[in-house]
Amino acid sequence: MNTRLAHLRLALRLLLRDWRAGELHILFAALVIAVTATTAIGFFTDRLQRGMVSQSAGLLGGDLLLRGARAPDAQWLEEAGRRGLDHSRVLEFPSVVLRGDDLQLSAIRAVTDGYPLRGELRVAERPYGEDRVVNSIPPTGEVWVEARLLPLLNMEVGQSLELGSVRLRVAGVLAFEPGPGGGFFALAPRVLMNQADLARAGVLQPGSRVAYQDFFAGETAALAGYRDWLEPRLDPGQSLVDVRGGQPTVGGALERAEQYLGLASLVAVLLAGVAIAMGARRYAERHFDVSAMLRCLGAAQRDILALFLPQLLVLALLGSVLGILLGYLAQGGLLYLLRELLPGKLPAPGPLSVLLGLLTGLIVLAGFALPPVLRLRQVPALRVLRRDLTPMPLSGWLVYGTAIGAMAVLMWRYTGSAALTLGLIGGTLAALVLLALPAWLLLRTSRLLRPGLGATWRQGFQHLWRQPLLSVSQILAFGLTFMAMALIALVRGDLLDDWQQQLPAETPNHFVVNVLPEQLEGFQAFLRARDIEDSGLYPLVRGRLAAIEGEDPASRVAEGEETPGAINRELNLTWSRQLPSGNRLTEGHWWPADTEGEAVVSMETGLAQRLGVGLGDELRFSFGADSLRVTVTSLRSLRWDSFQPNFFMIFPPGLLDDQPTTYMTSFYLPETRKGELAVLMREFPAVTVIDLDRILNQVRIILHQVTLAVEFVLVFVLLAGFAVLYAALQASLDARLHEGALLRTLGASRRQLRAGHVAEFGLLGLLAGLLAALGTELVARLLYARVFDLAYGAQWWLWWSLPLGGALLVGVAGVWATRRVVRQSPLVVLRGL
Amino acid sequence: MQNGPRETPIVSAQGVGKQVSTAAGSLEILREVDFRVASGESVAIVGVSGSGKSTLLGLLAGLDLPTAGRIELAGECLNDLDEDGRARLRAAQAGFVFQSFQLLPGLTALENVMLPLELAGVPEAASRAAQLLERVGLETRLEHYPRQLSGGEQQRVAIARAFAMTPAVLFADEPTGNLDAATGARIISLLFELNAERGTTLILVTHDPDLARRCQRTIRLEAGRVVSDEH
Repeated sequence: MNTRLAHLRLALRLLLRDWRAGELHILFAALVIAVTATTAIGFFTDRLQRGMVSQSAGLLGGDLLLRGARAPDAQWLEEAGRRGLDHSRVLEFPSVVLRGDDLQLSAIRAVTDGYPLRGELRVAERPYGEDRVVNSIPPTGEVWVEARLLPLLNMEVGQSLELGSVRLRVAGVLAFEPGPGGGFFALAPRVLMNQADLARAGVLQPGSRVAYQDFFAGETAALAGYRDWLEPRLDPGQSLVDVRGGQPTVGGALERAEQYLGLASLVAVLLAGVAIAMGARRYAERHFDVSAMLRCLGAAQRDILALFLPQLLVLALLGSVLGILLGYLAQGGLLYLLRELLPGKLPAPGPLSVLLGLLTGLIVLAGFALPPVLRLRQVPALRVLRRDLTPMPLSGWLVYGTAIGAMAVLMWRYTGSAALTLGLIGGTLAALVLLALPAWLLLRTSRLLRPGLGATWRQGFQHLWRQPLLSVSQILAFGLTFMAMALIALVRGDLLDDWQQQLPAETPNHFVVNVLPEQLEGFQAFLRARDIEDSGLYPLVRGRLAAIEGEDPASRVAEGEETPGAINRELNLTWSRQLPSGNRLTEGHWWPADTEGEAVVSMETGLAQRLGVGLGDELRFSFGADSLRVTVTSLRSLRWDSFQPNFFMIFPPGLLDDQPTTYMTSFYLPETRKGELAVLMREFPAVTVIDLDRILNQVRIILHQVTLAVEFVLVFVLLAGFAVLYAALQASLDARLHEGALLRTLGASRRQLRAGHVAEFGLLGLLAGLLAALGTELVARLLYARVFDLAYGAQWWLWWSLPLGGALLVGVAGVWATRRVVRQSPLVVLRGL
Repeated sequence: MQNGPRETPIVSAQGVGKQVSTAAGSLEILREVDFRVASGESVAIVGVSGSGKSTLLGLLAGLDLPTAGRIELAGECLNDLDEDGRARLRAAQAGFVFQSFQLLPGLTALENVMLPLELAGVPEAASRAAQLLERVGLETRLEHYPRQLSGGEQQRVAIARAFAMTPAVLFADEPTGNLDAATGARIISLLFELNAERGTTLILVTHDPDLARRCQRTIRLEAGRVVSDEH
């Protein structure tokens, strides 16, 4: 026991001495970077998930939620009442709200007394101000709105807005509201209103698009019983969401951002790990003599470990604690960058994230630093006499095995799936090997410069050429980081602009839905009077694809493929006498112009392929209680980005007459004439105008925030890259100091020495930049062609900005890190260092 | 004790002392060292380990500054020059040969010899370096790297490098210390041949009595003081 204590005390003393001597700085810094990067993301996702999940009953707004596009059977509600369950209904629909000439498409939520059954509403008196819990819903004549709606309508709390035919006073700012968000209209700001105002507003008409949300709350047993009773009665358009089953998501953008952030942080961890491994190796090598002396004095291998392992442990703890603190601060930065996407206030991070931060520190240090330090135990005692005796080099399997193992553990934490983790690791290794080739070629090519170089420059370049493996890995590390940053900048800056520029002039920028049949003539006259050219008015009936050749459509989707959205929701169905412009028949025949009520349908070819539908197949559609069987007689292709109303299914006239019908169209209205939309809204309050310019703008804002957040995390990757550079420099510092002193002895000036460093690190950064430009160009080309379906113009700026920027950044960092070499007295050559 | 010849010396030390501070207090390595070396002379500095030989060589060559006294090299007072000034002076006036050769491992023999020429911006560095290597008998080894050369060959490259700038003074620190006797003897011959050919002043530190005997003059150090200076 006493020896153990003595060991520990000695270990701490050695640690302190090494710290003062600067031996541990790079190891420690790399560890802090790794822990900061992971905990920043860890805290962030933890808060998000706690906000979303841990209080999900409160967040859902009830214990059980029945969702559907139609009102549920009255009998179902009676049954809930019989079982002692509370009930509250929310109607959610998109609608345009106005104030003066400003209008904004919003997500309206009309609620009744008692809402929410679980959780609480929080309302503030001014945007982003102090909020309080309210135990009621907005009184009639008043609404509570999300803060971001106010600037969009140029208004303040206390003023009124118009919804359909009613004026409603904005009485407060909605700071937190439970309930499932998501879907297309998660983009739109929420407006919470009293259902009692709905009828007067006149915005909902038969056929309008409304989501019914029926919340239930009560005893667990009663809930379970009701659930069992209800489930078999649901029609395909309805779904049950409970606390455990369907956690609401904040929307795809945020979810994907989370994934990117997690992956980026892992890259930072990997790079920091490499720096740690290098630092640990140098640390071990510098302690060979101490170990040999201790062995000589009679220390067993076990004693050597008892001396060095506690040092690692203390280092891991200190590094993790500092990393966790910095991670907490960085997480605040992330929240700020993503504030518009986040739901109100988030709960504080839990103790688990702190624990995970500590664990990350331990795993990273164990995975990357343990193997070299374990070597200390094998230093032969004879080394005290013969300094050339070093312990056996480590097996590569051990070194890379533990490192990959550590990364796998961390990755598994993010992905939660062993298969995905293995795939990611395999993919990463393959990508590294694939990219190492051009990096190596670049390095080889740079040797062609050799004959034309002066002594100092050649001396600088020589460092890169002499250790090609190290140089290639550094070029890769910086190249990949620069590439990720460039790609993100490219996507953020150009993607939407490119896309918009490729649209023909006067492409429709407004969609109009919910035009009632009795308003059709008036509406058309309104457009004609203002010289607004519409793309044709299409009848709209909502129905669901219920069966294909008698089978459930979902069963037709190939294994492993994503289920098309079109079979999970109600479709917009239309009828037409002619083939609409922009549509092209790919198979079959269009019906004759005099066709009336024939049971046939024309289907969009892409959906048909995914569901395995061909000409002559029988489809069944359901409209609430009604259903309709039709035969596919033609397939059509269409351009979705034409901004004409496009339909998966078109029927001949006369077949859907019995169903509630509204009309839709699209038109182009220049920015200068947006004011006329307000006039249109006042004349036709039930009509919903979707302003694509506004939506694109919102997409742009979200894209901007998400990419900023990802770049924020990439800064950690860059820092980790510098840690690798610094660690590599440390490893070669003795040789560099010696070489610098020798050059000084031969009469080299400091300027000449520095020129050598500028050459070395400038070239390193330049090559990394070239690799990044190459990678960005290729990946962007692929993304544009395959994912975004856009024409890609070569980005010449990449080819000068990335190499130059890289040379500057890495050059400055390298020159700074080698400043000691320049200051070194030449006398060390004589002293033999 | 005798002083050097009367004509302008190429190297002179006047009252030179060197103190360094250590954890245990200040340590006096050199004390009141006085001598002059005439142009073309060959001088051996001898003494036991720790007598301050290498420190004195470093001071004479301007690799470090004395804490007392003054040193002149080629008519310039080293005390008045900053580190870059001394580097300039070394580039123009001094050549070095070390015990451990001190070649740069990443450069070929030719490039190692070119190094001082290129640092000084001398044109046609490659052809001059090639001539020197030919002179030391390494004309077939121009493109070899140090690790591909034997110890004797490495020292010959170092000697070629030392003479590349036709220095006024050649400083050598135990030039045969790492070589066997036969190779050492050949290196010494080469050194003195070149010294005679080019009229270079030679100042060397050695343990080797044979090598010391071949010099015109021997300065003996004991505990940082000059105890004898014999022609």
